[in-house]
Amino acid sequence: MIGAGTINMRSGSGTPPAASCPSASARTGSTSLADEGLSDDRPKRSARTLLGPALQVAASLLWIPQAALISLSVGDIAAGGDIDAVLINAGGVLALGIVRAVVDALGGRVAYRQARALLSHHRRDALATLAARSPLDAGRPGSGLAASTLGEQAEAIVPYLARFQPARLRASIVPLAILGCVFVWSWVAALVLLIAAPLIPIFMALIGWRAKAASEAQLVELGGMNAFLLDRLRGLATIRSLDAVDLTANRLRTDAESLRTRTMAVLRIAFLSSAVLELFAALGVAMVAVYVGFHLLGQLPFGAWGSKLSLSEGLFILLLAPAFFEPLRDLSAVWHDRAAGEAALEALQRLAQKGERLPGAADGASADKPSSLAPLSVRVENLRFRHAGQRAPVFDGFGLTVAAGEHVALLGPSGTGKSTLLALLAGLSLPESGRIVIAGETLTDRNASLLRRRIAWIGQTPHVFAGTLAGNVSLGRSDVGRAAIQSALQSVGLEEVAARRGAVPVGENGVGLSGGEASRLALARVAVAPQTGLVLVDEPTAHLDTRTAAAIADALIALARGRTLIVATHDPVLAARMDRIVRLAPSPLEDAA
Amino acid sequence: MIARARQLLPVARLFLTGNRPMLLSGLLLSAATALSGVALLGLSGWFITATAIAGLSVATALAFDVFAPSAGIRFLALARTAARYGERLTTHDATLGVLAELRERLFRGWARAGVAGELAKRPARLLFRLTLDIDSLDSLYLRVAVPIAAALAVALTSGVALALVHPVLGAVTAIFLVVVGTGIPIAAAVAARRPARRRAYALEILRSRVIDLIAGQTEWIMAGQLADRQGELGAVDRYLSDSDDALNRIETMTSIAFGAAGALLLSAVLVAMGLLAGQGMFAAPVAALALLIALAALDPFAALRRGSVELGRTLLAVRRIAPRLEAAAPAPGIAPPPPGIAACLADVTVRHSGARAPILHAISLSIRAGERVAVIGPSGAGKSTLLALIAGEIGAETGQVACRSATLFTQRTELFQDCLRDNLRLADPQADDRRLWEALDAAGLRRDVDAMAHGLDTRLGEGGYGLSGGQARRLALARLLLRDTPLWLLDEPTEGLDGATARDVLARIMARAAGRTIVVATHIRREAENADRLVILNKGTITAVIGRGEPGFVAALAALRPD
Repeated sequence: MIGAGTINMRSGSGTPPAASCPSASARTGSTSLADEGLSDDRPKRSARTLLGPALQVAASLLWIPQAALISLSVGDIAAGGDIDAVLINAGGVLALGIVRAVVDALGGRVAYRQARALLSHHRRDALATLAARSPLDAGRPGSGLAASTLGEQAEAIVPYLARFQPARLRASIVPLAILGCVFVWSWVAALVLLIAAPLIPIFMALIGWRAKAASEAQLVELGGMNAFLLDRLRGLATIRSLDAVDLTANRLRTDAESLRTRTMAVLRIAFLSSAVLELFAALGVAMVAVYVGFHLLGQLPFGAWGSKLSLSEGLFILLLAPAFFEPLRDLSAVWHDRAAGEAALEALQRLAQKGERLPGAADGASADKPSSLAPLSVRVENLRFRHAGQRAPVFDGFGLTVAAGEHVALLGPSGTGKSTLLALLAGLSLPESGRIVIAGETLTDRNASLLRRRIAWIGQTPHVFAGTLAGNVSLGRSDVGRAAIQSALQSVGLEEVAARRGAVPVGENGVGLSGGEASRLALARVAVAPQTGLVLVDEPTAHLDTRTAAAIADALIALARGRTLIVATHDPVLAARMDRIVRLAPSPLEDAA
Repeated sequence: MIARARQLLPVARLFLTGNRPMLLSGLLLSAATALSGVALLGLSGWFITATAIAGLSVATALAFDVFAPSAGIRFLALARTAARYGERLTTHDATLGVLAELRERLFRGWARAGVAGELAKRPARLLFRLTLDIDSLDSLYLRVAVPIAAALAVALTSGVALALVHPVLGAVTAIFLVVVGTGIPIAAAVAARRPARRRAYALEILRSRVIDLIAGQTEWIMAGQLADRQGELGAVDRYLSDSDDALNRIETMTSIAFGAAGALLLSAVLVAMGLLAGQGMFAAPVAALALLIALAALDPFAALRRGSVELGRTLLAVRRIAPRLEAAAPAPGIAPPPPGIAACLADVTVRHSGARAPILHAISLSIRAGERVAVIGPSGAGKSTLLALIAGEIGAETGQVACRSATLFTQRTELFQDCLRDNLRLADPQADDRRLWEALDAAGLRRDVDAMAHGLDTRLGEGGYGLSGGQARRLALARLLLRDTPLWLLDEPTEGLDGATARDVLARIMARAAGRTIVVATHIRREAENADRLVILNKGTITAVIGRGEPGFVAALAALRPD
């Protein structure tokens, strides 16, 4: 490389991928999103956020005195000069070099730490908002999207803020400072640099425009290759059973090869734009060198403000020339950090958008257990509820009274709001109007969190966490001991499964558990929490064979002894075992709305 | 140590086979780029100094040959640009080539019988890990091999150039460059190994905890654990942040080390030049040449910085990917059963790896060719495992298995992001459109596909997105109907379908099943109604086998779940 990376130790990090192709069109684009993102969190861009980049600018500028010392020394040597001066200069070069390395690294470190802190801050923010959204909010982002945004995508913020932003500041200050220094000695050399520099963006723009669109499309496809592989691996059982392993493998190969051909066609153009930058930088240095050489020979006597440059002055100009282009090249090398970083910030901000709030979300967990173990009565008065963004209410003027200790089945075709009613009773969302009274207390945002502690809930598809069975039962509750887990597993008939599995963890989404076992696990979660006086259960026997369904119903009824139980179900057999059946009819107002 | 090096072999082989000329030319071009950069700076320095001295008197100025050096400078400027352009093209092309091969080999590796099950157990986590592993592998070539080639070429050339000035100077410089230039990245790689690995694990944990937090949100809310889980995620991010910080500290120290080493080399060469010039050993232009070479020579080594800090992560990827790249041992292959028999199990026991108790215990069963058998039993009894055993997906711990070639109709409908035609042709790559339409017709999907604007060219989204549950099941059925194996294994073929659709699907299967043996695993009555024999499975053992017409057959059917 020309311009020896010694000038800036942060350069030269291998070959940036296609997206990095620097393009002036992108640089002159509209307001950067990151600036907005930053200003959201920090009203003003404080001096602190500029400290890192400023240190790096200072480090880059330290090259100027270093170059001066080197050229003076060569002048001394040429003059047959005195070794003491050279030794002193060498000492200066060493000291300046070390200071420069330390200051530059320090600047990078400061910028990094700020960027990393901001990443943690964004992650915390997005998580807090996500956790505080009501499970009834259909607009909640899916877990897969949240995981990839908060996980690997969010990481892109750090290089963007820690590398790209400082590089941009360097590119806007350092070349000007160097140009000034060169100008002091020779206006012709300065002119050469000045002409080479603005030509870079013009040519890059010409090539970059075409390449940018194409390479972005190509990158999407490149990402698609991973998606293709994952898609096929996910369906591996089917591919194996259809004997299509060879077929699929060959298809993967030919697709990848044809993508390679197309990608290379784009890269040939995309790399041209960085080649232009390199070419002008190299030619800039070469022109300066040739001009200074001819000038020193006396063949180009103009350009040095009427006098003739000395050897040291000429050499000084030569040493500064690569440093003039270096920040521009650095900027182009980290260009792809910008697109990825901005996309990450945008995605994180989308995740942190507020939605329907979970009642009582702000209340932290308090240690005190509810003292009363009595069953809870439930009264629903004049309930009206509508899902966000939907016009027709699920309930309008609905009422229900369940006595303490009563077992009630909610029976009705799908779409009548059985699950929604259970969620409302559990305080997962608040009604539009009307009241839900549990044990004499009206459910509000203030007491939702406290009341929930006395309510147990079993959803339609209980989420099984990757981990041990015991961990899945205790759910991290500190008051649930080993003995309690054992007896809960026993009470729901899971002790054999637990014994058979040994320490083998349950897979993601309950892989390794049958449907019946997952239902039993959900029952065990309730069994370990004796302080709950109201049990809400959604479709506990759907998709189970008759024998398992009967066993689950037995366990459920045993579990609910001495508690209030409300079960939403299609299953007439289960419903018949309750004290009372409440039939939900489609809301008559549904069409009127 | 040797074991670790051996793990590298399959990956190294991947890089070395097939693309060798291109990979090598990438290395050469990268060396040429670095060399012409150093030469450009050195020659420019020499030129300026020489012209300055020559320019002192008119006579020497006129005699000085300006054209050769100035042409050389311009040539080097162009050569450097061209070499760099070529380097970027070849290295990227070569990397894409390696990645293409890697994807194919990885797929084949994961598609092996024993391994496929492992993947099915933790799909999201393993697949996520796999993408990151693939992405970090190209670092091995782009950020380690290529910079090393360039750096060593520059170290050698610089050493030779300086040796022309003074042999000791050249030797010391070359040794310094190689020792310090590779020593710093090696030290960084060693120091970064643990934090790089910790970072990779922490990112995985962060990801899976986020999934658990969101997907299990209601469970956490009702258990009063939501705040605790958030706090736990905060702790995971702090752990991740600590590893990040450790890596950044290493990177910072590496930067300082390279900066200081560069300054040391520069000032040392400067002192040497001063001393040697004092003895009148050479002219000043040579001093400028030497200084500028010293200035640029360490630069290519600094390009190793990122690759070295990432090396820990890359080697982790190598370690995890390598086993999947090993040449496949030939599958044991299931012995063919005696004539007239479709499948024969003798005293077979199956155990999930690591589990204490077997999932199937002492299973003996013989299924006649052309027979229809329903395997029934409560969930968790081992029905799916029994089908997987017959299909050859899992091996027996003890006992003998002999089966005809079988097609397993999996419980979960798995469709792919592809057009309908290619989704169908997985079952029969030779099938033409006529045969595909026939299969669609037989599966009762012809009218639906006819109504689609693009017909067989309709593209499906991830997991068959765009089709209803019933349509997806019928498409899977069409695929089964294209399979010409003598044995069909159906795992809850109509689970999740409404009664009318389910009966239609079952009738269509039976209509095409003439001459085939069918084994269906089920707990739904309608799926077992056509069976000649019921095999009742409970807790991994066969408790009864009842033929049609034998006592208990009707009762066993009646005990199954109605629609």
